[in-house]
Amino acid sequence: MRKYRKTLIGAAILLVIFLASCLYPIYGPADFHHMDFIEDKDGNILGRPPYPPSLSHIFGTSRNGEDMFLLLLYGAKFTLLIAFSTAVLRVLAGGLFGLFLALWAPFLTSFFKDFFLAFRYIPSILIAIILMAPIVGSFNDVPMFSLIFCQLMILVFLGFPSTVITTVDLTNELLQTSFIQSSFLMGASKLHVVKRQLLPYLRSYGLLLFVQQLLSTLQIIMHLGIFGYFLGGLNRAGIFGWDAPGGPVTPATKTYEWAGLIGQGFKDFTYAPWTVFAPVLGFFLVIAIVNMMKKEIEDNILGLGKWNMKKKSKMISAVSQGKVIVNKFELIQNKKGVKERSL
Amino acid sequence: MKRLLRGIIRLVLMISGLLVTFNLPFIFGIGNDTIRISFQTFWQFFEVDVLNLLNLNDPNYFAFFKVLPIAETSQYTMTLLAGSLLVVIFLGMLAAVAVMTSPQKVRNRLKVGINFFEAVPDLLVIFLFQFFTIVLFKATGIRIFQLYGIFGAKPYFIPIVTVSFLPFFLLLQFLIKALTEEERRDYVSYLRAKGISRVRILFIHMFRNIFPLLFVQLRTTVWVILANIYLVEYIFNLNGFTNDLQKIIFHKGDVSSLIVCLLMLALPLLAIEAVGWLMIRQMKGREVGGL
Repeated sequence: MRKYRKTLIGAAILLVIFLASCLYPIYGPADFHHMDFIEDKDGNILGRPPYPPSLSHIFGTSRNGEDMFLLLLYGAKFTLLIAFSTAVLRVLAGGLFGLFLALWAPFLTSFFKDFFLAFRYIPSILIAIILMAPIVGSFNDVPMFSLIFCQLMILVFLGFPSTVITTVDLTNELLQTSFIQSSFLMGASKLHVVKRQLLPYLRSYGLLLFVQQLLSTLQIIMHLGIFGYFLGGLNRAGIFGWDAPGGPVTPATKTYEWAGLIGQGFKDFTYAPWTVFAPVLGFFLVIAIVNMMKKEIEDNILGLGKWNMKKKSKMISAVSQGKVIVNKFELIQNKKGVKERSL
Repeated sequence: MKRLLRGIIRLVLMISGLLVTFNLPFIFGIGNDTIRISFQTFWQFFEVDVLNLLNLNDPNYFAFFKVLPIAETSQYTMTLLAGSLLVVIFLGMLAAVAVMTSPQKVRNRLKVGINFFEAVPDLLVIFLFQFFTIVLFKATGIRIFQLYGIFGAKPYFIPIVTVSFLPFFLLLQFLIKALTEEERRDYVSYLRAKGISRVRILFIHMFRNIFPLLFVQLRTTVWVILANIYLVEYIFNLNGFTNDLQKIIFHKGDVSSLIVCLLMLALPLLAIEAVGWLMIRQMKGREVGGL
């Protein structure tokens, strides 16, 4: 487990954020420290939301007068949970289907690639928008959780082709190795090869794939927020426009999930940049943590050979010790020579 | 004959894949307060799209092209793309040379700094640039950089800088990684032993050898730039190609114009893939000839 120290720490931080967000109804104020107009004794209005960041509101308030930090805390669970489950489902679905394609139906691979060709040439945010538009493009009263389920399916589908193709490529590469070739020659069944020989590799690669998919899911959720497709749907009440009460409502999020917070503050960016920067920084924090985990997993996969080499070199060291000493001797001699010359 | 048949099957698969993908959300029929899963609606929409594509005489064919100024907007977007790509390649090469010629200690520190930008989300960069432009405007009162594309304005500077910021670091990271790996090769130590200067080895030998790799990486760069342009055009309200695309999607335009628009969007990627393919083939040919 020492090999995955950073990964564990990162996962622990994310878990703490998630738990804090889940327990919010127990300890947090239900109205998010709602603060309306500030009036003096005579009823003159001194200030109105959105309030800029201050000591009482670290990240300022939203246009509805809600504390941004509390909103972020409350909404984190939706963002994290959806991103996490999307990544897990993508890896599971893509991995299993990819294994099936590579082992049992290799002739279908090129057709599969052709069928999902669009995903290679069109930015995924564009496809995501096209897919999301009929579902959360406008106000509706569908129960939040069935809406989220539909969105989850779409998010999983978005990453499906790329995970399948990655798995197929990886499996094909592994199938070329001599130990798998020889076990096929000895009459091992495909299932046996999967269980005994592919699985150990696929476990670490699966972890890597999962983290990569987590990153891409977080990105796509964030972008969807900008375009107004919030996870969990739009809130009719909207962000109150104090300036134009009669104007069209800027939809707010129902769930206070982070991308939705970006999306609902986005139109006021010049006026209240903190309503956008706070959730974007939240995303930045999560993405930085996940990226750190990804780096470590990648290093571990690449360094796996090195680690084995160390083990081997310990065993051989008894034999090669003599050589090492000779090398050291030469080095010292060289240094001596240099010193003498310089004196 | 067999190849022709295969080609036809592939074409049909590609187009049907596109149509299936785009009609997929209709499986979830969103009612007023329920979601009903029905494959029938999906099939209906699919059929309409197929008929629309096949019916060449329909006056609605390419209807949207007659309304939208596609030529003008796509020219603007492609200028942004080309500009950003040039900036990214030029600055990326320059920075890579600077990093590779610096001493080892400085290089390691620079690498950490460059790796940091890997985790920065593109939205943060875009918003920061927007924020600073606005702050600059408020502080000086002079509109130094045009930010928004309202009233037919076509800003170039800020969008290109914003779009190429993250791809630049991505390419730089790749170049440094590739060059560091190249440095370990035998021919480099041989050249060093012969007393050829590091700069000369870098420019004349190593850069030439990583060129095919660079070209493969350029596809990713263009891909990232395209996605960034899409976001920037929406956020800065620029009157670009993606704006038209948005209109076609939202007003449920005809499938034919949508497909052509998507093809146009994919054109830079296709071009770079074609050039890369040709180059790799030529290189292989040369190697075989040399042997």
